[in-house]
Amino acid sequence: MIFQIYQILGTLIGIIAIVLSLWRFKEGKMTLGMLSFWILIWAAVIIISIYPESTNLFASITGIGRGLDFILILGLIGSYYLVFKMYTMIESMEQEITQLVRELALQRENLKENVEKSNNSLK
Amino acid sequence: MKSTALKKQSNDFYTLNPPISTKPDIYVVIPAYNESKTIKDVLEELKDKNLKIIVIDDGSSDETYEIAEDSIINSYNESIYRHVLNRGLGAALKTGIEAAIAKEADIIVTFDADGQHDPEDIIKVCKPITEGKADFVIGTRDFSKMPASKKFGNNVMNIITRVFYGIHVNDSQSGLRAFNIKAAQVLDIHSRGYGVSSEIIGEIKNHDLKIEEVPIKTIYTDYSMSKGTGLNIGLKILFKLIMNVIRKVF
Repeated sequence: MIFQIYQILGTLIGIIAIVLSLWRFKEGKMTLGMLSFWILIWAAVIIISIYPESTNLFASITGIGRGLDFILILGLIGSYYLVFKMYTMIESMEQEITQLVRELALQRENLKENVEKSNNSLK
Repeated sequence: MKSTALKKQSNDFYTLNPPISTKPDIYVVIPAYNESKTIKDVLEELKDKNLKIIVIDDGSSDETYEIAEDSIINSYNESIYRHVLNRGLGAALKTGIEAAIAKEADIIVTFDADGQHDPEDIIKVCKPITEGKADFVIGTRDFSKMPASKKFGNNVMNIITRVFYGIHVNDSQSGLRAFNIKAAQVLDIHSRGYGVSSEIIGEIKNHDLKIEEVPIKTIYTDYSMSKGTGLNIGLKILFKLIMNVIRKVF
């Protein structure tokens, strides 16, 4: 079997991504759930790179012309979903930061006022 | 005392607000981000009016906080809160309103730090509240005196406010507003940026509170012209609102 360039590239990228995911998991920067999710995704990329014909099965099930088209469509939808997920995650993080900043501002001013009050009562 | 009376009253849906007869505690909330050029004059003018002042420095990179602190004499009536990071107009307003509620304000007025408002208008926007006619008052600017680009931006924002929150007001983006304590307490706002102005109006409507609009003066200087709602900000707000709707669907 002679590999095409895209097959080698796909496999390489998949392996690198899996190694990076494992690395991040080891450093505690990724949860076990996310790790398994990404390993599944990248394993699928590797398998499809090596056996492109396997996608024909999906194509015949869904009725989309060619197997690779199906995978591309799936990939596109998946990417959009992930971008959206990230947007909402960042948004909720921003809200948490805002809450922290607000709490800091309120407490610092309260502290200042209390100190002033106790200073005044000492006089 | 008065605030507890109002709190009790908010449970009773059908009674009208009692007029606030004795002198109400008015707190002026001033969100400021990089306003070192104007904050001093704004504060001096307000101090003459014998109002209580809450400044929120929203993580300014210039001297806004230091200047505001220097111009404060009576720390009982005037306080400055500082956001360690810049979080946007909406976030600063919320901090100020929370602070004013904690200080048992009767009426909370929001006031821009760029010098575009006339301090005389504060009493004007408070009047419908002290008379028990409204829970929330918008100080409406005169659009006919506005430069074309701002007029356009503000009109677009009025339309957006109408589409997303189902309520038409003549100036949804005005920085001069007044809340009675009941309105301030029910307010649950999430917008951090300029979108907050529309969100506030939506919140007031959702809680069936009474809105009044009072015409106010706007002082246009080169400086205040460079800030506020232009087309750019309008588009940003629109994007945020659409994203919020999509997020709720998912």
